[in-house]
Amino acid sequence: MFSERERERYKRQMMLFGDEGQERLKQAEIFIAGAGGLGSPVSIYLAVAGIGTITLVDNDVVEQTNLNRQILHYDRDIGKKKTASAEEKLREINPDIVVKVIDTTIDATNVDSLVGTADGIVDAMDNFPARYLLNETAWKKDIPFFHGAIRGLYGQATTIIPGMTPCFACIFPSAPLKEVVPVVGVTPGLIGMVQATEVIKYFTHDGKLLSGRLFIWDGREARAEEICIERNPTCPVCGTKNTTPQKKRKP
Amino acid sequence: MTVKVRFFARFRELLGTDIIVDIPKGKVFSELIKDIAKRNREGYDTIFDEHDAFREFVILMRNGKRVELADAVTITVADGDEIAVFPPVAGG
Repeated sequence: MFSERERERYKRQMMLFGDEGQERLKQAEIFIAGAGGLGSPVSIYLAVAGIGTITLVDNDVVEQTNLNRQILHYDRDIGKKKTASAEEKLREINPDIVVKVIDTTIDATNVDSLVGTADGIVDAMDNFPARYLLNETAWKKDIPFFHGAIRGLYGQATTIIPGMTPCFACIFPSAPLKEVVPVVGVTPGLIGMVQATEVIKYFTHDGKLLSGRLFIWDGREARAEEICIERNPTCPVCGTKNTTPQKKRKP
Repeated sequence: MTVKVRFFARFRELLGTDIIVDIPKGKVFSELIKDIAKRNREGYDTIFDEHDAFREFVILMRNGKRVELADAVTITVADGDEIAVFPPVAGG
């Protein structure tokens, strides 16, 4: 059920999703791993869309060098924990949702309990080892993993649905070389919007997901392309799992 | 015969893209990429390691289908093939 205020707030998108779709967004719990370049736009747009519960995890402190892209954090937040800064903004952006923040580093010992009963994981990380961990967790819990990554003016995204699509380790069996990644804010903005759109479509059952396809954005050339991706039968994560239809979607 | 090689992202910056090459029949996949990558030392080093093997993160596609790095040293390309060479990105 929606309050009058919620009905007004979501009026224009309920024209798209109806009461039923909006209710699904309200019942949804999304886990966003990272409150940086991708995590900022993803969490802002999922908050305004009315995702009922947003859990945001980060262990960093806001630094001046973050501010060209991490739009959840302002100049006045330098030195503050990113989780505290994010919580404050997201609560103001939409007081009708639940925002949970956890100030920690995601690792193999805590990832399972951090993700908890979330209905999906948004990949807003900046490294491959953490992505492999979240991918495995998504597979174990049978929930979608909304992948996004960027470098400079380039980005990539795909939606991983356990049992239906290749998993992250099928697509990327090896991590690229470690580096300090050059980036301008518009790139995580754009890729974050692809991820947030996927999350909304997944929960509202609207449209066709970016599943089995890797979206590739070349901002330098202003070209978007996609490549088909296939499951790796010998994948250490999903290779032996039976193909099952997605079942975690809330009714 | 003619094939088209498309590089993405950082590879594109260093080597260009939509490179159409005329090659003899029976050209091995990895040799084709090496020949083109040799045009730019940095480009070559970004794709190949010091033993001239593909760096393990490189993604190869032929006509929209993934080619495993291990297979790229044995399979040959065919007339009209479109080949894509792609580096995953890791930032967030």
